[in-house]
Amino acid sequence: MNSDYINLALADDDEDDRLFFTEAFEELKVRSNVSLFKDGIELMNYLDDSNNAIPNLLFLDLNMPKKSGLECLKEIKASQRFKDMAIAIYSTSASEEDIENTFVIGANVYIKKPNDFEKLKKVLSEVVTTNWQYHTSGLNKENFLLRL
Amino acid sequence: MPTPSSRYLRTAFVAGLFVILCIGGYTYQHINELSKASKVVKDNYSLRSELELVISNLKDAEIGHRGYLLTHDSLFLAPYEESLQKISNNLVNLDTLIVPNSEQVDKLKDLNNDIQKRFKNFSNSFARVKDSEVLTKDLLYLLHEGEIQMDTIRSDISEMLDLEQRLLVQNQEISQGKIGLTPLLFYGLLILTLVILLLAYIKMTTDLKALKESNTELEISEKLTKQSEIVSNTSTWVWYMEENEFEFSDNLYRLLGEEPHSFEPTLINFYKFVHEEDLTNLGHRVNLMMKEGELPFTSFRVVHKDGTIKHLKAYSKLMDETDGEKKIFGVTVDATNEVENYRIIEQRNQELERTNKELSAFNYVASHDLQEPLRKIQTFMSRLEAKEKDHISESGQIYIQRMKSASARMRMLIEDLLQYSRTNTSEKEYLKTNMNLLLEHAKTELIDSIEEKRAKIICDDLPTMEVISFQIQQLFINIISNSLKYSKEDVPPVIEITHEEVLSRDVKQIKNSLYKYHHKITFKDNGIGFEQPYAEKIFLLFNRLHGKSEYSGTGIGLAICKKIVENHKGVIVAEGEPNKGATFNIYLPFLK
Repeated sequence: MNSDYINLALADDDEDDRLFFTEAFEELKVRSNVSLFKDGIELMNYLDDSNNAIPNLLFLDLNMPKKSGLECLKEIKASQRFKDMAIAIYSTSASEEDIENTFVIGANVYIKKPNDFEKLKKVLSEVVTTNWQYHTSGLNKENFLLRL
Repeated sequence: MPTPSSRYLRTAFVAGLFVILCIGGYTYQHINELSKASKVVKDNYSLRSELELVISNLKDAEIGHRGYLLTHDSLFLAPYEESLQKISNNLVNLDTLIVPNSEQVDKLKDLNNDIQKRFKNFSNSFARVKDSEVLTKDLLYLLHEGEIQMDTIRSDISEMLDLEQRLLVQNQEISQGKIGLTPLLFYGLLILTLVILLLAYIKMTTDLKALKESNTELEISEKLTKQSEIVSNTSTWVWYMEENEFEFSDNLYRLLGEEPHSFEPTLINFYKFVHEEDLTNLGHRVNLMMKEGELPFTSFRVVHKDGTIKHLKAYSKLMDETDGEKKIFGVTVDATNEVENYRIIEQRNQELERTNKELSAFNYVASHDLQEPLRKIQTFMSRLEAKEKDHISESGQIYIQRMKSASARMRMLIEDLLQYSRTNTSEKEYLKTNMNLLLEHAKTELIDSIEEKRAKIICDDLPTMEVISFQIQQLFINIISNSLKYSKEDVPPVIEITHEEVLSRDVKQIKNSLYKYHHKITFKDNGIGFEQPYAEKIFLLFNRLHGKSEYSGTGIGLAICKKIVENHKGVIVAEGEPNKGATFNIYLPFLK
């Protein structure tokens, strides 16, 4: 495996959002492997298979059928295997309740899906280039919701 | 405890009785005294006449004696003998009459002796007469002696009479002294008795009057109680524990749907009306009341004969009367309305809860589901604009611009609506918050447009208040952004924020507030202002004074402001003058 490549995963039931996501990374020219999952079950099946490489960064939609993003987040955080995997919540809504919950469980950042493609690119590039291992120590609730 | 008035009466009665007894006793004694005195007088007179009789009889004897001496005729001896007999009788009578007096007794003895001597003289002279028929020296001597003896007897008798006279006078003086004060004393005692009687009478009449008055009051209060029981659907009852007897007020019968006193007031008859499901519990409570003397608030249902079900509530307490009789006083209230109202309120609460749930479901739909397609439309448009720009005609590009601004407006509407509904949120946490801090946050939030418009914000020091902080921050944001939005094109906006404490009664809009003081926070700008008649309209939802193309806006911002202020029990008032500016006064109540 080439260590220059960053392993990214996105779990989102919305086809359009998956399209925007991949197109954004294509245009960003970040050397990345993007794995896409249609729902929480598919994501967890992939992660639980120890043959698969653990992504460096997981983008997690909250509102998904079968298994919600919040359930996935709880399961992931319960396992030591994924302690080095950074998790970005990637959701349409930015309700206080969702932000609070995901922060408490241990997500690294909360992204509200932008309504402009250029903004999306900007946000994603920001998240990808952040060193989350280092950043974790300075994590607080005020900057948990990513604002650009 | 006897009442004071009955004690007075008793005292008066005892005193009166005592005085009357005194008078009786004294009268008896006095009459006794009088009769004694009159007996003394009578005795005195008898004595006198007896003494007179002695003299006269002696004279008769002497006449007889002389006659015999002169004639020697025994005819004269008969009255002489008779007189002698009478005198001895007189002496016996005298002896009984003078018993009480020793001096008189002595004198009587002297008299007796003298009379005996005279009698001796008589018999001696008779003896001489038999010897010779002429007067002898002896006989003459005897006649002289008889004359002298007669004088002695007369003086004896007059002495006795004198003494008796003295005794009589003495006696009269004594009884006079005793009797002299009596009428005055009688009179005094009589007056005293009369006064006591009069006082008792006055006391009794006033007591009777007071009794009458309190009786009238009692009657009035009883009537009032009956009336108020009917009006307020309450009733009372008394349970005499010893006799196990009940007394129901009229309205208790009515509460059971019956005419007053239409059945015997007993527990068993009462139980006949109690709803069978409540019978066990009520019976248990009543048994407990019999033991502990108190019935705590107990609710139960009764069924009228016509089937109506009423909810009653009873309470009672033991009253220990001074007469030692144990009574339980109870109150039974018709709580049907209360129960029904409670049920209605509960129903409404449930409805409200359901509505609130629906509302929050709507919030979610608005925030998530509506925003998602909109976001995609916008993203796709930005893709179209960036990627396919070269392939779209000029007019096509204008359409794209129009679509973009339309969707941007839709987003704004959705967000504002969400904000508006969020001000309804039930979680209202009032915390002491420094308002300066909230204003700073608001300014930070608006920093872009403030800088863009080169706006100047001058503000007073604001107080610390108990508020829902995120709402007040939103309020500040909305008012400031409103001022920024409606600023004059060529004049940099100046917003002055001032604060003062005001007395509620001094301000028209909050005159009737329940709070005495209000904080008044004023936002004054130099923008385009508005005409005063619109001052209230601008706070209505979706209400706008300008066309969408002139000023962007949803007509929700100020509606949110009003709602937030109302959440804080305050009032927001706008004043405007076209081309001069607008002023927003926020009045928030507080306690000193």
